[in-house]
Amino acid sequence: METQSRELAVRGTPVRLLTGGAGPPLLFLHGAGGGGRWLPFQERLAERFSVHFPNHPGHAGAPAAEWIEHISDLAFHYLDLLDTLGLGRVHLVGASFGGWIAAEIAVMASARLSSLVLIDPVGIKVEGWIYPFLFGMELPQLVSTVFHNPVAALALAPKDQSVDTLVELYRQSAALARVAWNPYLYNPLLRRRLARITTPTLLCWGRHDKVAPPLCADAWVKEISGARLVTFEESGHVPHLEEPEAVAATVTEFCGHREGAR
Amino acid sequence: MKFYYFHLMPYVMEHDEPSSWVTLSNRHYDPAAGHTLYHQYLDQLEYAERLGWDGLCVNEHHQNCYGTMPSPNVMAAMLVRRTSRARIAILGNGLPLRENPLRIAEEIAMLDVVSGGRVISGFVRGIGPEYFSLGVNPTHSRERFYEAAELILRAWTEEGPFPFDGRFYRYHYVNPWPRPLQKPHPPVWCPSQGSTETVEWAAKRRFPYLMVFTPIKRIAQIYGEYREACERHGYKASRYQLTVNLPIVVAESDAKAEALARENALWVYNVGLRMATPFYQPPGYVTEPSLRRVLANRPKLPTELTFEDLVEGGYLICGSPATVRDRLRVFADELEAGIVCSGMNAGSHEKTLEMMQLFAEEVMSHFREDAAVDETAGVGR
Repeated sequence: METQSRELAVRGTPVRLLTGGAGPPLLFLHGAGGGGRWLPFQERLAERFSVHFPNHPGHAGAPAAEWIEHISDLAFHYLDLLDTLGLGRVHLVGASFGGWIAAEIAVMASARLSSLVLIDPVGIKVEGWIYPFLFGMELPQLVSTVFHNPVAALALAPKDQSVDTLVELYRQSAALARVAWNPYLYNPLLRRRLARITTPTLLCWGRHDKVAPPLCADAWVKEISGARLVTFEESGHVPHLEEPEAVAATVTEFCGHREGAR
Repeated sequence: MKFYYFHLMPYVMEHDEPSSWVTLSNRHYDPAAGHTLYHQYLDQLEYAERLGWDGLCVNEHHQNCYGTMPSPNVMAAMLVRRTSRARIAILGNGLPLRENPLRIAEEIAMLDVVSGGRVISGFVRGIGPEYFSLGVNPTHSRERFYEAAELILRAWTEEGPFPFDGRFYRYHYVNPWPRPLQKPHPPVWCPSQGSTETVEWAAKRRFPYLMVFTPIKRIAQIYGEYREACERHGYKASRYQLTVNLPIVVAESDAKAEALARENALWVYNVGLRMATPFYQPPGYVTEPSLRRVLANRPKLPTELTFEDLVEGGYLICGSPATVRDRLRVFADELEAGIVCSGMNAGSHEKTLEMMQLFAEEVMSHFREDAAVDETAGVGR
C-alpha cells in the first residue's frame, strides 16, 4: 500500500508522520522502538481506515522535544496534532508505551475518540506487579522479556551500528526515560482517572506478556467501564508485531463496528 | 607537588557475574569481613597523614564491590577527629543523587567547622550505575547537578534565611547552621570524566579539575581544554587546579612492583569496574555531542585493559622508587599537574602500609619544592 511520509510542526514541535489507507481516521501511537516502521499491522488497518502514525518526539530519529517532561505532555501533544491535522474524532490505537499515552488522552478527551484500543498498555500501577526494568537489560534479555516469539523482534532491529544510529537509539531511550524512568512506566494519577473514559474500549493482550502480564489486563478491565478484553495466545508484550493479522482483524472489527453505530 | 591519599575502600573479590555494580548481589558482602576492612582502610588513611601526605580522599559510590563508601561524609566524619593536619577531600558528593542537597551544604559545613577548615568539597554527578541503584532520573542529572551546586554555594555564602525556587529543589528557608569555617566556603573540586560542559563550568568558577582513572593522553587533552577555558575566563590556571588520580604501585624493584600490580591493581579495572553495558551510559546522562565523541574513539572498556595497557596508557604508575619518580615527573613537568591523588594496595594491610612508607620516603620526599605552598589558596572558590 502506498504510504506518505511527511514532517509537520505541532505548536512548534516537529513531528514525523506516516499516513496510509483510506476511511475513517485512526491515530496509531507506537511503543518504544516501534516508531517509523510501517509493518503488516498498520498495513491491515489501512485497508479500512486512514491510518495516521506519528513518531514520538525523540523516537526513531525524530528530534527530541525538551519541553516534554511528563506523560501528559505527550497526551496534549497528540491532541494538538489532531487539531493541526483538522481531525475532529478519531479511532485511537496505542501499543505498550503508546497505549499509556492513549489512555492519558482518553481521560482528558473521550469526546474526541470514536473508539479506544489499548494493546498491552503500561501506565498504571497494578498491585502485585512491578514492571521489569527494561532500561537495565542487555539485548538478549530485553528481547526475551518483550517478545514471546523472538523472530518478531527482527522487525525492530536497528539498521546498522553506525555512530548516527547509536546516537538515535540513545536519544530514543532518553526521550522515554524523561517521562518513564521514575515512577517507572506509570503515572500514579492515571488509574483513578480511568473511570472518566466513556469511549468504547478494547484491550488486546498477549497471553505471555512478561512486561505487563495478564493480571494487569484485569486491572484495566476493572477500571474502564464496559471495556472488552481479547487475549492473543501466541504473543508476549507486542501482539501487534507477533500476531499482526489476528490483532489487526480484531481491531478493525471493533473500530468498524463503532463506526457503523454512529 | 602535593600528594593526596585516595581510598576506594573496595571489597576485593572474584566473581563470574556480568556486573560488579547494581546487580551483584549483596549476599557476597560479609559484614564481619567488612568490619575488619573498614578499620584497615581508615588506619591506612590516618597513616598517610603521619607519613606526610597532604590530603586524604574519600568518595561516593553505590551498590558495588568496587568501593564500599555510599556515604563519603560518614567516612570524612571519622577522619576529621582522628587527624589534625591533612586536608580531607570528599571527591565527592553526588549532587544529583540527593533528593535534598541542602543536607550536603549542612554536612560539609559541619565537617569544615569540626576539622578547623580542612575540608575540600568535591561536586560530582555520580557515574552511570548510580542512577540505576538510586532511581534518580538520569535525564535530569546535569540540570540537578548545576541547580544543587548553586543551592549549596549560596547556602554557604549568603546570609540566611532566603528562599530558593529551582526546578528540582525548592525551599522557603535556606538558612543552614552551622556555616562553613573556610571563607568564602570550602574549596570545591570537580572530579569528572572530561565532558566539555563540565570543563567549562569548572574553569569558569576556578574549581580544580580532577580526572579519575583516565589514560594520560586523554588527561593531557582535557587539561588543554581546561586551561583554554580558564584563559577565556580571564585567568591562568594554577597547577593546583589540575589533579590526576591513579593507583601507584611501588616496590624495591620494577619486577617486584609489576608482580604486585598484576596481582592487585589490575583488579580495579578488570573486576571492580566490570559493568553490564546498559549501566555505563544511562539514557540522557551524556549529551549527544559527548556521546559522539566517545563512540568515535571507542576506548577500551576497563575489563578489556591488560596490565600493559595500564602501564603504557598511564592508567597507573608502577615500578621501583626511581621509576615511579620518573613517571611522576611527567605529570609534574609535562602536564603541569600540581596534585596527585593515589591509592595503594599491596595485597594485605601490612604490606600496603609498608608500600606507603616506601613511597613517602623514596618518592614523595623528592617532590617537596612546594612544601610551603597552600594548594587551596585562590582556587576552588
